[in-house]
Amino acid sequence: MNAVERLLRTPVAAFEFTNILLTQGDAVVAVTPKDVVWTHRKTTLYRYRSDRRTHPIPVLLVFALINRPDIFDLRPGSSFVEYLLEQGFDVFLIDWGYPEEEDADMGLDNYVLDELQWGIREVLRACGQDELSLLGWCIGGTLSLLYGGAVADNPVANMVLLTTPVDTRGSLYGRWVGRESFDVDYVADGYGVVPGSAIDWANKLMKPVTNYWTTYRQLWEAVLDGKSRREAYQSMARWIADNPPFPARAYREWITWMYKENRLVRGNLRLRGEIVDLARIDQNLLVVTAGADHIAPPQGTHPLLALVSSEDVTRLDRPGGHIGLMAGSKARTEIWPDIAQWLAQRSTTPRRGSRNGNRNHD
Amino acid sequence: MTAVGHEERAMAVDQKTSPAEETRRLYEDAETRTARAFEELVGRDSFGELLARMTENMVALTKLGTDFFDLVIRNMRLAGRQDITRLARQLARTEDKLELVLQELERIQSAGSQNGAGARRERG
Repeated sequence: MNAVERLLRTPVAAFEFTNILLTQGDAVVAVTPKDVVWTHRKTTLYRYRSDRRTHPIPVLLVFALINRPDIFDLRPGSSFVEYLLEQGFDVFLIDWGYPEEEDADMGLDNYVLDELQWGIREVLRACGQDELSLLGWCIGGTLSLLYGGAVADNPVANMVLLTTPVDTRGSLYGRWVGRESFDVDYVADGYGVVPGSAIDWANKLMKPVTNYWTTYRQLWEAVLDGKSRREAYQSMARWIADNPPFPARAYREWITWMYKENRLVRGNLRLRGEIVDLARIDQNLLVVTAGADHIAPPQGTHPLLALVSSEDVTRLDRPGGHIGLMAGSKARTEIWPDIAQWLAQRSTTPRRGSRNGNRNHD
Repeated sequence: MTAVGHEERAMAVDQKTSPAEETRRLYEDAETRTARAFEELVGRDSFGELLARMTENMVALTKLGTDFFDLVIRNMRLAGRQDITRLARQLARTEDKLELVLQELERIQSAGSQNGAGARRERG
């Protein structure tokens, strides 16, 4: 397209660009059919409908306490859930919902020892199995680790951790909120539930130019060139803008325990008096990190490998960002097949006494 | 490839690049450098300090605003935010208790059915 053509196209492109931004709230996200299995307070456990379940061990997806788990099922044709269902898995999702001020007293112990533990019980009951695979992403991965480290003899056969913060020393978040001058109690008490928009603002501030300018500039150019992928942009933009609040107690504990005191790695994190001992984790373990992840950088996840006692450990270090790794345009061909294959190999026989005893790095 | 070969290739590339494309490339380079500079800036301790103060100010302003409006609404004899939160908290606690009662009931049922099966085995 030459300069004159571009100039002539500018008014039309301006309308299209504006329309994409104004209608992003109507984008179709998380539409794979699912049924409610169990609810408690704001938490809902879903089971995705499928007529091709071939693997006996179900998969429970656990997302972070910030943003929505819809990213697992972003849009038709670009949905990790859809992919897992195609591969014959029985897929469940635990959705933390939208906490409000009455949930300000929800702490990490409530999420791990109540909501997650009870959700796991319901998964097993719904599918009549004794074991399941736990797949946690971001804080969801850390919650899975807390569960594995606090609950002995749990029914988790396989644990998949995607871009999970473990050791926060040296991270940008650590520099921001780990410092003494960041008064987490004042923030938690002042808000009751920390607004999702505030957390989103902090996340975007980590890469300000990219998030506040480059994204829109690239969209504009794509529209001008007639190459914009409207559905892809809108679904991701809608997901990014959907920010549930963070309950005050959980926020206080997350910041204090993970960023100010780095307790998980130091081995002094307790949930209801029970020490979270990562050495208790002996499940088959898949750890996935993203090279350009600024929220949970790979060097903050790798120390985990020395702390767990799993014999079957696989590490996948891939290029990409915190979210782009799993929800980007290349995820379907570059990372989902590896995860599905890893799970499929370990979703047929009972775990106990059948571990592979391998440590694989890729 | 020799140095001459490199030059020829670079010239060939230059010839193919239009002024518009070259402008775009220069702009993108500048944007990338700016982005990197900003990322360095937000990674500094001084920025962390600024962010901590700014967050506290934001929290204080939000709290003042919320408390003020809540007071106005309650003085109008309407249910304010605090009242609704209190009610919702009571509902949440009731739900917690109900969940625990259900779990206990299931445990008793499960123990009962196991005892029943054991008794039948003994009789049979």
